[in-house]
Amino acid sequence: MSAISVEGVSKLWGEARAVDHVSFAAPSGALLVLLGPSGCGKSTTLRLVAGLETADEGRIVVAGRDVTGLPPAARGIAMVFQSYALFPHLTVTENILFGLRVRKVAAAERRGRLARTAELLGLGALLQRKPSQLSGGQQQRVALARAIIAEAPLCLMDEPLSNLDAQLRHEMRREIRTLQQKLGMTMIYVTHDQSEAMSMADQVILLRDGRIEQDAPPAELYARPETVFAARFIGTPPMNLVRLADGPGGAVIAGSMGPALLAARGNGLLLGVRPEEIALIDRPALHCLAVPAVVAAIEYLGADSTVSCAVGSETITVRAPGHVTLSVGAAVTLGLPPGALHLFDAATGRRRDELTGAIVATARLASTITN
Amino acid sequence: MMSSAATGPVGHAGLRGLLGRVAFFFSVVVIVSPAILVFLWMLSLAFKNEIDNIAYPPIFIPNPPTLANFVSVFANSPFALYTLNSIIVTGSATLLALLVGVPAGYGIAKARAYKLGVLVLLARLTPGLSFLIPLYILFQVLGLTGTLVPMVITHLVITVPIVAWIMIGFFETLPADIEEAALIDGCTLWQAFRRIALPLSRPGIVVAAILSFIFSWNNFIFGVVLAGRETRTLPVAVYNVLTFEQLSWGPLAAAALVVMLPVLILTIVIQREIVSGLAAGGIK
Amino acid sequence: MSSGTIFSDGVDEAAPPGRLARYFAIDGKRRYMLFVLPALAVMFAVIIFPWLFTFFMSVHDWRIGQTKTFVGLQNYAHLLHDERFVNAVIRTLVYTVLATVAPLVLGVLSALVFHRKFPLRGLLRGIFIMPMMATPVAVALVWTMMFHPQLGVLNYLLSLVGIPPSLWVFDQATVIPSLVLVETWQWTPLVMLIVLGGLASLPSEPYESALIDGATPWQMFRRITFPLVLPFIMVATIIRTIDAVKAFDTIFVITLGGPGTASETINLYLYTQAFAFYQIGYASAMVVVFMVVIMALCLLLLYLRQRAQWA
Repeated sequence: MSAISVEGVSKLWGEARAVDHVSFAAPSGALLVLLGPSGCGKSTTLRLVAGLETADEGRIVVAGRDVTGLPPAARGIAMVFQSYALFPHLTVTENILFGLRVRKVAAAERRGRLARTAELLGLGALLQRKPSQLSGGQQQRVALARAIIAEAPLCLMDEPLSNLDAQLRHEMRREIRTLQQKLGMTMIYVTHDQSEAMSMADQVILLRDGRIEQDAPPAELYARPETVFAARFIGTPPMNLVRLADGPGGAVIAGSMGPALLAARGNGLLLGVRPEEIALIDRPALHCLAVPAVVAAIEYLGADSTVSCAVGSETITVRAPGHVTLSVGAAVTLGLPPGALHLFDAATGRRRDELTGAIVATARLASTITN
Repeated sequence: MMSSAATGPVGHAGLRGLLGRVAFFFSVVVIVSPAILVFLWMLSLAFKNEIDNIAYPPIFIPNPPTLANFVSVFANSPFALYTLNSIIVTGSATLLALLVGVPAGYGIAKARAYKLGVLVLLARLTPGLSFLIPLYILFQVLGLTGTLVPMVITHLVITVPIVAWIMIGFFETLPADIEEAALIDGCTLWQAFRRIALPLSRPGIVVAAILSFIFSWNNFIFGVVLAGRETRTLPVAVYNVLTFEQLSWGPLAAAALVVMLPVLILTIVIQREIVSGLAAGGIK
Repeated sequence: MSSGTIFSDGVDEAAPPGRLARYFAIDGKRRYMLFVLPALAVMFAVIIFPWLFTFFMSVHDWRIGQTKTFVGLQNYAHLLHDERFVNAVIRTLVYTVLATVAPLVLGVLSALVFHRKFPLRGLLRGIFIMPMMATPVAVALVWTMMFHPQLGVLNYLLSLVGIPPSLWVFDQATVIPSLVLVETWQWTPLVMLIVLGGLASLPSEPYESALIDGATPWQMFRRITFPLVLPFIMVATIIRTIDAVKAFDTIFVITLGGPGTASETINLYLYTQAFAFYQIGYASAMVVVFMVVIMALCLLLLYLRQRAQWA
C-alpha cells in the first residue's frame, strides 16, 4: 500500500487547467520531488494534497484513506512553507507544540516529543526565542521541527530552501535528506532546482503546464529523458539538442558534411548528447563517433571548461576538464559515445527509442574515416 | 517653495535658501495656528472668572486662573451622571462593535467579499435622521425610552462600520500562509482565527476601538432625539448648558473642554495610526 | 512510530466529496460567511429595517400620536411645492459647494507643507488633526462664543486690523459663510490626511529626472504632483461633499437653521418636520428625497473621478 496516491487530480482556474489529470504514487518512506519551472503546477499540486485547495477532479489517498473531501486538519499531513510561516507571536517552543496542543495531545507526550525533536534539529538553545530573533536557517529548522513533531504519515515541503543563501542551501539539503531517511518519513518536496531534486529524491515527478512530463527515479531521468523538455531540464550545462538532416549514408548533423550518425533519415529528428559525455579527441577512437567541429567560444570555470563548438549549422557544448589549450576558430574532433546518444522527434519532442538501434556502430565509422 | 512635493530637509544654501526656509516656517505657522488658537481660546474662557470673560477688549490670559467654572458645571447639572452615560453608551457600543465587527472584517477580508463592504459605505452615506425616525418609534413601542439601550443600539450604526472597515484593511495585510500552517496543524477555521489571526491583529483592534470610541463619543444627533433628562450623553448635556445659561461663557467653555478632553487625549495617543490608517482607509 | 494516532478522526474510508462538502470547501470563500453573519444581522436591524420602515412611512400621512392614513405619493408631490423645502435644497447645495471647496484647497496646501520634513512635524501634525476629532457640538459652542458681535474675540481680531465688525451668524447674509468657516476649520485636516497619504505614495524618480531637466517647483507641481495626486483629491472631494450635505451638528448648535430659515439645510428642515412638528410621514418622504440627492451627488462625483483618471 503506498503512502500517498494521487489519482487523476485536476484543478481549474476558470478555463485554465493549473493541474491536469495528474496521477502518481509513492511508497512509505520515499522522498518524492515535484520538479518543474515556475507556473508548472507543482505548488498547486502540493496544495491540493494538503487540502488548502479543493480538487475539481480526481482522488487523493493518504495512507490508505481517501482524504479528497477532508479539511487539511483531518488528512494526516504536516507541511513546511517556503516562508516558514512561523507564528510571530509565539515562542519557538509554542510554535513547535502548536499542532499538538490543538489536537489535545497529553502534556507528557508533548514534552517527550519536543525534547526528541529539539535534539534532532539542534534547537535546544533557541526554545524561548521568538521567530523575529532567529536567523533564516534557524527559522527553517523550527519550521521543520513543527512538521516532524506531528509524526504524520506524510510530510509536504514547498520550496523550503529558496529563501536561504547557496551555502546554507547545500547544508540544509543534506540535513533534510538525512532526517527524512532516519525518521522514515514519506515526503513530497517541491522545487524548481533540478540539482536539489537530483541529489535528494527517490522519485522525481517532472511537471510542465500542469501535466506530468516524466515520473522516474533521478538516475533514469538523467539517463533516459522521455522528452526534449526533460532532457534539457535535468543536468548542468543542459543537454545538447541538435537537428539532424538527411545525408549520404544516413543522418548527419544539420549543415554538416558528415559523418553519418544514424542509418536512417535524419530529417525531423533531434540528437541529444550531454556535454559531459563528449570528449575532445585528436584522433579517431574505437569507442566513439568522431565528428569534426570548430571552436566557437571557451568558458574557463576552474574545475572544468565549457567549450562551444560549431558543427554544421548547429552548436554543441562540451564540458572538458581543467584548462583547455584551444583557441577560438581551432578545428577539433568531438568524440560521441554511441551509448550516450538520445534521439527525439523534433515535432513532438518525444523520445524515439525505436531508432536507437540505427545509431551507427563505431567500427563501421572507423572504416569510413580511414578511407 | 512649498509647491515642490519632494521629501527631505528644507532649503538649500545661501540667501535664497534662507528666504525659502523662513517662508516655509511661516506657512507652517499659518496652517497650524487656526487649530491651536481656537483650543487655546477655549482654555482661556474656561479658566477665566465671570467678569473677565465678558470683558472687552477680551482678556487672553486668565489672571488669576480659576476652577470655578468647572465646579459650577458639575454643581448646576448632573454632569457626572452624563459623563457616566457617555461612558456606558460609547463603551458598550464600541465593545459590541468589536465583538461583531472584528470577525466580520476577518470574514470579508479572507473571502474577498467586498460587496459586503458596500453595506459599510451605505451606512456612511445615510444621514443620521433617517435611522432615527423609525428607531425612535420602535423604541417607544418597545417601551425602552428612559433607558440607555436605545442609544447603545443606535450607536452601533456608527461603531460597527468603523470597526469592520478598519479590520478589513488590517486582515488583508496578514500573510495567508501563517493561517494555512495553522489549518494543517489541526485548526478549524474558527481556531485559526482565534489563536493566530486575532492575537496578531491587536494593533488594528486598538486603532479600531479608539476610532470607534471617538466617533461614538462625539455623536450628538442620536442623543438629541433619543435621550431623556436622565439618559443624556455629554454632547447633548453641553448643548443644554447653552440653552439655559445664555452668557455664562466660563461654564460653557469648561463644559466643552470636559466633553472634548477624552477624545483629544485619545487622538494624541493614536495620532500616528490615524494618519496612516485613515489616509489609507479613505481610499475606497 | 505512532503514525496516524492523532489523525484518525474515525474516518477511514471517507466518500469522495459530495455536493454539500464542495460547496463549503475550506478554500471556498463561503465558509467565512459565518464570521460575517452577526455583523450582518446587526446592520440589517439598524440600517435595513429603518430604511424599509422609512419607505413605508413616507407613503402615509402620519403624525406622532395620531392614526396614519395611506396617501400614496402625495407627500412627495407636496415636497415639490413646499417653498421652504426648495429653499432648503438650494441652501444645502450652496453650503455644500462652499464647505467642500474651501477645505479642499486648504487641505491640499496643508498636505504639501506637511509632506516636507521639519522639526516637530509629528507633534504639529497631531495638533493639526485635533479639530476633526474634537466633539463637534463642543467646538460649535466655542465658535458661537467667538462669533458674538459685541464680545466675541473674532470681531476683536478684525478690529485690530481695521476691518469693521461683522454680524457673523446673526445676519442672514453672513450666516452661511460663517458656518462654512467653522466647517472648514474642522474638516480641513481630513482632506489633508487623505492627500498626504497620496503624496507619501509618490515615487521620487519623476522629480529627480525633472530636476535634471531643469524644471521649476511650480512646473513640477503642475505636471507631476498634481496629476498623480488627483485620485486622492477626488476621494477627498467625495467624502467632503457627502459630509457637507449631511452637516447637522454645527448648524443645529450655532444657529438652529436661523436667523429665521437663513441657514436651514435639508437636514435641519427634516429635523424640524420630524421632531418639532411630529410629521413623520412627511419627514420620511423628505428623507427619501434627501437620500436621492446624496446618491445623485455621489454618482456624479464618481463619474467625474472616472473621467479624471483618464484625463
